[in-house]
Amino acid sequence: MAELTGIYTASHTPVMLNFPDRIPADLRTEIFGAYEAMGRDFESGKPDALVVLSNDHLHNFFLNNFPALCIGVGESYESPIEHWLKAKRRVFAGNQAFGAYLLQEALQADFDPSFSMEMVLDHGSLTPLELAGLDPDLPIVPILFNCVQPPMPTMRRCYQFGKFLGDAIRRYDGVERVAILATGGISHDIATPRMGMVNCEFDETLLQLLEAGDPDAVVKYATEQVHTAGNGAEEIRMWMAALGAAGGLPFRRAYYRAVNDWYTGIGIGHFGQSELAAATGNHG
Amino acid sequence: MSNWRLMMPTTEAYLLDKVLYELHHKPDDLAAYNADKDAYLARFKLTPEMAAMISGNDVAGLYEAGVNPYLLRAHCIGVRIPEDVSLAALRGLMKEGDDKWLN
Repeated sequence: MAELTGIYTASHTPVMLNFPDRIPADLRTEIFGAYEAMGRDFESGKPDALVVLSNDHLHNFFLNNFPALCIGVGESYESPIEHWLKAKRRVFAGNQAFGAYLLQEALQADFDPSFSMEMVLDHGSLTPLELAGLDPDLPIVPILFNCVQPPMPTMRRCYQFGKFLGDAIRRYDGVERVAILATGGISHDIATPRMGMVNCEFDETLLQLLEAGDPDAVVKYATEQVHTAGNGAEEIRMWMAALGAAGGLPFRRAYYRAVNDWYTGIGIGHFGQSELAAATGNHG
Repeated sequence: MSNWRLMMPTTEAYLLDKVLYELHHKPDDLAAYNADKDAYLARFKLTPEMAAMISGNDVAGLYEAGVNPYLLRAHCIGVRIPEDVSLAALRGLMKEGDDKWLN
């Protein structure tokens, strides 16, 4: 029986690594500090494995064959795949047995994920791990949701998958302590006329609904209003999955700032009882 | 406005997507493209207009043709279209009301 040591939600954007100087130095320091605080909180739970909920940005998957959901069952994962991303190359250890367990359990539970034994992870997984300063040797299971090419799985389906995932992790006896990092969102537009115009009202409402603790209200709002928050906001599917996995644990925001010059509403949050929110303060 | 230009890709968008995808994932393709754009683009089943949008860095045209925005974004960075140039091209397509939630 594995213990879930923490369920974290955090934005990702390649701009953080490629164009850090587009925002003032003090703001950049504040944001990077918030990721580091998340990393410290994460490490304090001493997880043996990390389940990364993220999305591929059309690097491993293309329109000739695009899974709605893909579970990684590789021995290891190189990163990054983007030739243009300003990040040092690294290799993440995979927890193949854990990935295989989750894949088989998902199929038994009537979900239909695809699987991959070889993926090169992109900035969507690498950036938050890098900024949080997580142990590069911590074995991971990446689970990638299609948030980038319609048609896509519904917010509700992602929430339901998260519920399955949390239960399956808690039943697993192959590791003792597991953390989840759900990464993506919040409001942002990629290569549209609205790019650089963050909808902070959407983000604020979403965070408030998460804090209020009513999953149905969160899923309903995400479903009905995501179109106002940009194509990048579709990545809150991973937040829906985290909400499902949390199984009623309270959500607290650790950080939020609408950063138009990074094109993104940068949000970090946590499901559980830790002091992460108190450690970093809230920023509106 | 919708988050997406197309809720289901057209074949034209798919063919443009295929160029943008292969260009930045196959090992020698970016060098071949930079050496001779027209020769590289001739490998694909594009109309002259579609090829011209890519070789001319027509960011607005590619957006309107419905290419996947992540492929478009990665292409802009990958072929080093200046950030402010690609942003201005996209912003120029903004219609009245698209930003109404900002008020």
